[in-house]
Amino acid sequence: MNTNSNSYVMVFAVGMCVTVGSVLASLNTVLKETQAAAAEFDRRKNVMIAAGLIARDTDKSREDLERVFEERVVEVTVDTATGQVVEDEEEADRLRDGDPLQYRKVGTAKNDAGVVDTIILPVSGKGLWSTIYGYIALKSDKKEVRGITFYKHGETPGLGGEVENPEWTAKWAGKLIRDANDALVGIIVKKGEVDPGVEAEKKHYVDGLAGATITCNGVTAFIKRDLTTFDKYLSQN
Amino acid sequence: MTATATPEAEKTPLFGDEEKRVVLDPLWDNNPISTQMLGICSALAVTTGLKVSIVMGISVICVMAMANVAISLLRNMIPSKIRIVVQLVVVSGAVIIVDQVLKAYAFDLSKQLGVFISLIITNCIVMGRLEAFAMGNPPWRSLLDGISNGLGYAWVICLVGAVREVFGGGKLMGVQVIPDSLYEAGYVNNGLMVLAPGAFLLLGVIVWVQRAISGKVEE
Repeated sequence: MNTNSNSYVMVFAVGMCVTVGSVLASLNTVLKETQAAAAEFDRRKNVMIAAGLIARDTDKSREDLERVFEERVVEVTVDTATGQVVEDEEEADRLRDGDPLQYRKVGTAKNDAGVVDTIILPVSGKGLWSTIYGYIALKSDKKEVRGITFYKHGETPGLGGEVENPEWTAKWAGKLIRDANDALVGIIVKKGEVDPGVEAEKKHYVDGLAGATITCNGVTAFIKRDLTTFDKYLSQN
Repeated sequence: MTATATPEAEKTPLFGDEEKRVVLDPLWDNNPISTQMLGICSALAVTTGLKVSIVMGISVICVMAMANVAISLLRNMIPSKIRIVVQLVVVSGAVIIVDQVLKAYAFDLSKQLGVFISLIITNCIVMGRLEAFAMGNPPWRSLLDGISNGLGYAWVICLVGAVREVFGGGKLMGVQVIPDSLYEAGYVNNGLMVLAPGAFLLLGVIVWVQRAISGKVEE
């Protein structure tokens, strides 16, 4: 057979695409559920990391971590327009599917004594290349940051990708999202390092990531925006 | 690693001298990283720890084995006009398979390796072996060639990964290996090892040592 005739090349190319395509499509169908479960587990793990319930490099098994989540974390759906919690779970799922920006899942976590002392808010927004997803945990005064974590993004590894660097996220703990007049200022990612001599910077700013200015500006913007979105909820609960 | 490969090679009748050469060459004399200087990019980027290096190594081995066998089976049917495109389709397919499996069963590691799994597609070792070996050799030999080149890549990145993790973080596979007493005596982790330039210097040293022993000279 002449393997270089145009018709053969065409048939071969089409056959190749169809074969590879169907192999990948069937693999995806088979693995879909396992992948979704793994992603959901990763999300839950990050809720707990933000809340400070587990260490980032925890070596606990998946079962143990799932149990901690069940025991300590409660997730509810909040209507951000009114700040009210949607009590009915089926209704909540339906509303979240309809308008994921207005209806959002918020977590609360209990401390060792069983008292709810942490609110975990989802935050997400544009970095440089991608949407960054994370959780910010506030102490019960609703001002002080307990922890933050970014768990899904497509930023450049080594530059913007450093948002998930635990040494950097550790710097967020203890910062305040409100100023002395109770006005919402959010947390500002500074370009360069925080000057500890300036009171406002010490309270509301964190060090920037070198080589990732646009990612950092994005983080500053969406943290402020999402905290504003949850303002009604925070002031009511 | 050479030590474990040799006895196997002698046991199976499927292994002639040619097969033995195919298996052993990429491990040392013709190592894809230290001799051919291929796949350097990922070798620098993913070698922050031993665990990720091992997973990356295994992923590359799987991709190369799958792609080499597939191309070898098709080698007499592939029109030479579009052979590079066909090779790319096969490599991409194999990489996506590995990526999907990792996402399902090793989510954390797949997140850590991130974009570098997808970038196996552009790893010159893979395309190089398809074009230079699988296009002209039967499937069994191509399988051996793929696995062996993958292993040649894997042992070098695992070595880099292990050294970086020990000196950069005082740990190996996430377990502390440098005793606290040493830290108390004033020892500090080497920050350079955590960064890519550390890997670059380390890789340079490995290439030098490997070439000094194997006697390879650039012509």
